[in-house]
Amino acid sequence: MTSGLGGPNVAAILFFFGFVSVTLVITYWAARRTRSTEHFYAAGRSVTGLQNGLALAGDYMSAASFLGIAGLVALSGFDGLIYSIGFLVGWPVVMFLIAEPLRNLGRYTFADVVAYRLRQTPVRIAAAIGTLAVVTFYLIAQMVGAGNLIKLLFGLPYEWAIVIVGAVMMAYVLFGGMLATTWVQIVKAVLLLGGAFLLAVMVLRRFSLNPLALFASAAEQFGARVLAPGQLVADPLDALSLGLALMLGTAGLPHILMRFYTVPDAKTARTSVSYATAFIGFFYLLTFILGFGAMVIVGPDAIKAVDKGGNMAAPLLAEAVGGEGFLGFIAAVAFATILAVVAGLTLSGAAALSHDLWVNVVRGGHAPEHEQFVVARIATVLGGVASIALGIVFKGQNVAYMVGLAFAIAASANFPALVLSVFWRPFTTRGAQASMIVGTLSALLLIFLSPTIQVSVLGRASAPFPLRNPGLITIPLSFVVGIVVSLLTKESEAGERFPAMQQRLHLGPESDQA
Amino acid sequence: MMAIYFGFILLVAWAKPLLGRQLVPGLSLGILLGALVIVAAWVLIRVYVRWANSTYDSAVARIRESGR
Repeated sequence: MTSGLGGPNVAAILFFFGFVSVTLVITYWAARRTRSTEHFYAAGRSVTGLQNGLALAGDYMSAASFLGIAGLVALSGFDGLIYSIGFLVGWPVVMFLIAEPLRNLGRYTFADVVAYRLRQTPVRIAAAIGTLAVVTFYLIAQMVGAGNLIKLLFGLPYEWAIVIVGAVMMAYVLFGGMLATTWVQIVKAVLLLGGAFLLAVMVLRRFSLNPLALFASAAEQFGARVLAPGQLVADPLDALSLGLALMLGTAGLPHILMRFYTVPDAKTARTSVSYATAFIGFFYLLTFILGFGAMVIVGPDAIKAVDKGGNMAAPLLAEAVGGEGFLGFIAAVAFATILAVVAGLTLSGAAALSHDLWVNVVRGGHAPEHEQFVVARIATVLGGVASIALGIVFKGQNVAYMVGLAFAIAASANFPALVLSVFWRPFTTRGAQASMIVGTLSALLLIFLSPTIQVSVLGRASAPFPLRNPGLITIPLSFVVGIVVSLLTKESEAGERFPAMQQRLHLGPESDQA
Repeated sequence: MMAIYFGFILLVAWAKPLLGRQLVPGLSLGILLGALVIVAAWVLIRVYVRWANSTYDSAVARIRESGR
């Protein structure tokens, strides 16, 4: 089969320009409503549950899940689905432990919550390091992915693609703040869900709308092993470690956590997680069909011929069932997906830089409103320029491990400190600092020593640390360090403020005036 | 939820032949359980939302009233 991939696709370019025009109009509309820091970071806390649910889904369903998982399933069958499932199961954790406390205790960043009853400066510095580490690795993965994707889909040079993504994304965040970012996410989530659904229906029409007939056909052509666990997660400990990082990492991703500040109250936060999980769950169920569909209709060899990692499985499938026009549509959706996720990441990075580091550390929490607003925008420009630079520096690198790295750091640096601060009274400032720093550094170190870097990137024969994902070691380690250091350093004020924090956690910010 | 998910992961790790068994042609136990894990996550969240919206919120409202 010959493919139109790699040459300029008129439909893709039209769809893409359509998306950019619509989102820039939204940005213009949002810019006129973004007049204060609260608007900039939290969309004036006016987002509804359904809107935030869609936006959360938009932030979470990155191109990595759309293209990457479809590709993994197409090439290795059932094993790819382990990722689908792992990416979803973090949401109950977010729901039960994170969403409502976050909404009731914080203002703009998760550091607000960790630092709530602790000493501000040290905790915020540590939290900002954790946030920026997660955001940087996630950004690199998205930007490099964007460059390669656009090169393949539109035939545009890599550097051009990076600059376009960076510039459009900066326009959203800089002028429209969180309101524009939220609406870009909503548009993108609807497009992605709609596109994936349409693609799945077109695939299933060939199997009389019966997914089982599709799976059976896959088993017939490629052997029953494609429906069973196989090589990808050969080691049980590796599977467990990956699962743990995916599950708890979701609850530590700064751009996801930030979304809970855009809703008016805890009840809406709750509703939005419920919607988000429904959308994301539906989407990941679709990846079952898209993956096996690509395996049967396109074939693993044809997919590998275009891209060794399998990332082009979904676009190739779209072309096979719907022709060049549909390929263009799916390609534009994938591009829009990257653009939106990058915007969300940049905004959360900017919040860590300006709200945590500048306003609360440098200025001791007392910066005038207009200064906060200006600093937030300067931080956005820095974030945008940095993401373009990182995208170009990492050109041609194998960055597939970086999303895993971002999840591992989020799970081991951010999640333990957040949970201990909210639920464990003896937690202290030093404990929080130690837990976040050890979590970040141990995740970085162990990934460097793992087969992911040593074997796949550096090409060595073996690695000093056996697991591909360090979560199994670093998450418990970060909890233990936080607990031990807290017990060694008594901090009576932190304990005394615990009941007041609990009251606000359950009753919401309004209870402060009561 | 953690029990459901890690139960699933442990099956993936140690009971590969079991998960590969096809219940009906095309539907292996692994795919069925995987889909059920996703559905279970959503069902758990719905149950929590119902509980929180009825029981928890009214309790919070009562406390707030008595605090004034």
